[in-house]
Amino acid sequence: MADDAASQEDVLKSVIGQPTGTSKVIVERGPVQHFADAVLSASPIYHDPAAAKQAGFDNIPAPPTWPFAMEFSGKFDELQPSGAPTGNPLAKILGPLMAKGGLILHGEEEFLYHRPIVVGDVLIGEGVISDVYQKESKGRTMTFICSETTWTEESTGEPVVTARMNLIHRS
Amino acid sequence: MGEKKLSYESVQVGDEAPVISHTLTRTDLVKYAGASGDFNPMHHDEVAAQKAGQPSVFGHGMFSMGLLGTALTDYVGVGNVTRYQVRFARQTWPDEVLSSKIVVTAKREEDGRKLVDLAVTLSNGDGEDKVIGEATAALP
Repeated sequence: MADDAASQEDVLKSVIGQPTGTSKVIVERGPVQHFADAVLSASPIYHDPAAAKQAGFDNIPAPPTWPFAMEFSGKFDELQPSGAPTGNPLAKILGPLMAKGGLILHGEEEFLYHRPIVVGDVLIGEGVISDVYQKESKGRTMTFICSETTWTEESTGEPVVTARMNLIHRS
Repeated sequence: MGEKKLSYESVQVGDEAPVISHTLTRTDLVKYAGASGDFNPMHHDEVAAQKAGQPSVFGHGMFSMGLLGTALTDYVGVGNVTRYQVRFARQTWPDEVLSSKIVVTAKREEDGRKLVDLAVTLSNGDGEDKVIGEATAALP
């Protein structure tokens, strides 16, 4: 069994630094408005372009946790960069872990904002597995998978937001 | 950004943002699923959730972070947030009253920017923390 444990650790460590993919996302008004409603914001800046401009934005801004959801509504197949890496390294480690059962939990989430995201933005996201490690807790193995996605403005390459996520598989 | 929010001069360590309190409903979770694309049945399908051993559907962690984010941006302005981080400590359940607590923990100047650090928490009526985190805002 020692060999199994060693090889499992090798597989886990092998994905550190691997890309999780490149996405191109368009930020549209309707989805941003629905998202703001869904996080129970009553602020007019998410609904009214005049209110957003008055508050100093070039266009309607997105709520702070929008980057986590924006691929759902703004990632169009025909616009995706060609030659982007395929095969998500997350699947390579989560598949074998889930085959033994257990739960996947969202442990932590962090956003670093370089400027506000606004409607009309065209953003490029590049993800990477930043760390993978295991801990024993109450007789269970906790596998931590940390990833980071850097979103930049397509036209300028300027950074917009960095999103860091920590997923936990609990055996 | 020019949202009429806090100014660096007026804010003091220990100040607290206005509290948002909200009783979680299943409709909230369906709305969040539709807006975010997270259709994990644990968050909207009572039958599937109970089959999986859960007492009922439970909230998306990102709904909690989003609700707490609304309290944060109502206070400091969405254009001023430079960092927002949380740890998901516990599940949320329908009918729980979720309340935000946002406290200014530090004021500092860095690279010519006037920053405030905030401790952010969302908890239920029994005082159980659901998400716990930190935020930083650059204020005018």
